[in-house]
This record gives sequence, C-alpha cells and structure tokens, in this order.
Amino acid sequence: MGEERSTLHDRFDTGVNQDELILQQQRQIEKEISEKTPLVGDMENFSSLEKEYAGDAVYCQKVQDLSAKYKSMRRTRPDGNCFFRAFSYAYLEQLLNNPEEYERFYALASKSKDNLVALGFPQFTVEDFHDTFMEVVSRVGKGGGTFTQTDLHKLFNEQGYSDYIVVYLRLITSGRLQQEAEFYQHFIEGNRSVTDFCHQEVEPMYKESDHIHIIALSTALNVGVRVRYMDRGESSEVIAHDFPEGTRPSVHLLYRPGHYDILYP
Amino acid sequence: MANIAAQRIKREFKEVIKSEEVAKCAIKVELVNDNYTELKGEIAGPPETPYEGGTFVLEIKVPETYPFNPPKVRFITKIWHPNISSVTGAICLDILKDQWAAAMTLRTVLLSLQALLAAAEPDDPQDAVVAKQFKENQDMFKQTARHWTSIYAGGPHRNTEFDLKIRRLTDMGIEDHQARVALSSYNWDLERATEQLFS
Repeated sequence: MGEERSTLHDRFDTGVNQDELILQQQRQIEKEISEKTPLVGDMENFSSLEKEYAGDAVYCQKVQDLSAKYKSMRRTRPDGNCFFRAFSYAYLEQLLNNPEEYERFYALASKSKDNLVALGFPQFTVEDFHDTFMEVVSRVGKGGGTFTQTDLHKLFNEQGYSDYIVVYLRLITSGRLQQEAEFYQHFIEGNRSVTDFCHQEVEPMYKESDHIHIIALSTALNVGVRVRYMDRGESSEVIAHDFPEGTRPSVHLLYRPGHYDILYP
Repeated sequence: MANIAAQRIKREFKEVIKSEEVAKCAIKVELVNDNYTELKGEIAGPPETPYEGGTFVLEIKVPETYPFNPPKVRFITKIWHPNISSVTGAICLDILKDQWAAAMTLRTVLLSLQALLAAAEPDDPQDAVVAKQFKENQDMFKQTARHWTSIYAGGPHRNTEFDLKIRRLTDMGIEDHQARVALSSYNWDLERATEQLFS
C-alpha cells in the first residue's frame, strides 16, 4: 500500500499518491452508480427482473418462484449500504401502519444511545446520529396523514437523512457484536477480534453486509428478517433464511450475490 | 449534503476546542476559511519519540460528503516518518482511507496521527526510503527524525554533525533541503549523498 517511489531521483518530481488515485477511482465508480439508481426506488413488479435475466434458465425459474411468493419489490442502490438501507426502509414503512409495534420500537430506539455510549462509542457523534435517527422515527410515528409513505420515500432518497440512518444502524450492529463478542467471535474468520471486525467491516460506510451483520442487527432491534436467496444454487426455489432463527419475519429482503432489495409479500 | 458537512464540522470544531487535549496543548484546530471546508490542525510530537518538542502542522480538507467520507489530511510540516511522505506530506493511515467511519471526528483523527508518530507501521509504508531505514537502522532513523524535527518543527535537538555535513553540500551550491534529503536517505554518508546529487 502506498509506496510512492523507490529511487532517490524520483523524489523531487513525483508526489503521486497511489492510494489517493485508487480512492478517486472508487469515488468515480460510486458516482456513476448513484446517477443510475436512486437510493431507494419505486415499487415495481417482477417483469423488470425477468427481463434482466432473460435467457438465463436458472435465474428465470427463480424469478418465477419469487413472483409466486411475493407481490412486488423495491430496489435499493448497490452502494454497500443496501442491507441497512433496505432493512430500515421496509421496517419503518410498516411502522407507519402499526402503532403497537411502533411504541415498542420507539422505546427501544430511544434507549439505544445510552447502550452505545456505555460501550465506549464517542458520545458526541453517537448523539448526532441518534438525534437524526429519532427525528425520523418520530416523524414516522405521527402517521394519520401528517407523515405518509410518500414522505418516507422522499426522506430516504435525501442522501443526508438516508445515510445518517445507515450510520446509526451500523453503530447499533457494531454495539451488538461487541456486547456479545464471545458468541460472535466464532463467526469471524482469521485472527480478527470482534472489535477489529467492527472497525473494519461494520462501522465504515459502504462495507457490505453478511449474515453476521444481519443476525446482530435483527437481534438487537428484535425485528425478524426473512432473506430470499437468488443465486446459482441448484434449487428451483428462492430459499428463505430467517434471522434471528425461528422469529416471525416482518421484513422481507431479496438477496442476489452482493446485493439486497426489498420484497413485498 | 454540503450543509451536513459544514454543520457537523462546526459542532466538531467546538468539541475539539473544548477538549482536554487542547488544554494540554497536545492538539489544536483553526479555521482557514469561513465555510468550514478547510482547517489547519496542529499536533505536538509525542514524548519519548524523535518528534518530542516539535509542533506539526496539518492541512485538513473537508469533502462535501463528510462525515460519510474521511477528511483529506496531509502534513504541511516536513517530517521523517515511514508512514508519511517526506516529499508531499501524504499520510498512510487506515482510518483516513477505507477504515474511516462516520462516528469518528477531527479529534479522533488528530489523536490517531499523534499515535502514528509514536508507533510507526513500517510494513505499510508511505515513504519507502524512510521505512527501509527504520527497519534496517533504527538508531540512524531516530537521529534523522530528531534532526528533521529540530529543523522543521521547532524541536530542541540540533545535531551539529548533521548541520556540518549539510553545510558542506550547500557550500557546493546545493539547496539546503535537497542536501538534507540526500544525506538522510543515505544514512548521512556524505560521499554517497554527494555522488547521488551530482550524478
């Protein structure tokens, strides 16, 4: 990483930083993706998915199966934050019409900050993200015509709000992993500690989510998630996995290698 | 977006100036322009390192996408360190790259840089020449880093032997800094430095 030059002669004329160039290229790719796909898209049926896989027998069969099980889908931007974004959108959307569950979640979310500060996260930034997160949650709670699905959709497509929500969920996930480090350590490959894993794979934006992220977040918030897997696997069905195991799923997500979208039963 | 970045930096700015490290003169931040997109940072060289007694100035640029992307930071003060370019001041530190998290702050960055000065990572170098010296000749590295600290960062340890060697080269018309770089890179071997400069 980052070796600038090896001979002394070069020292005086090259100041090129390789890491900087790689980062720049990454930003450029991200920019191109973001211009093509909104953070969260409109509700759509499965015809566009069918078109995407036209001629691919394995996938076509799975799209068939998917459309037998679900009514529609909603795409999210493939920026590495898709699991967090899809999860929070789908869940908050349901809370719009579920005052009982909303009360439970509001109480849990309000308290979540103290938990994180107790774990050693910097109070200053945790508060910042928590405030914005709670602002959104409170707006969802108003319901009854003052805050509608359309408002939620607009809010999730405002980069600032949308990313603040993602960051806060990343913090909650990291908090859960560290709190139950002994348990989660078994799922981490290599010699990394749970804390290292959180610093490298959970807290930074754009880092993709794996089972371990999903288990930690769904357990921390006590919200069931069903993920439908659409990959090259042999089954003709889109196999379901429920997190945490055995719970009644309230959020349904479609997984294709490297990406999560929202599903509507 | 830009608005989020500015608001956040404003709040952070207040956080840093209130912090105990500022009270102890270990770190400092100043505004460069009114719209909070550029700041000037300062860190004190950590005790019991070759950087002790020096003050290092940093350029901090805040991207529009802050805090979701890291601030761009580089050393303005010239420094001899394996993870910092002796030419451009560019820094190799994970949290300024792919391990940045939005929950981090300017204060975290400055403290991490200070920690980097106390514990170099020669296996992930920014400056290959310095890293090589660090691994092969620790003592020479320390003397050189201390010398750079005294010259560029106001450190207390002048090294008359090094000063004399530089003088020999400047007498031949070589510019002061260029002479220092050549000598530093060749473990203060005057003959080899001269050879390289005139080759």
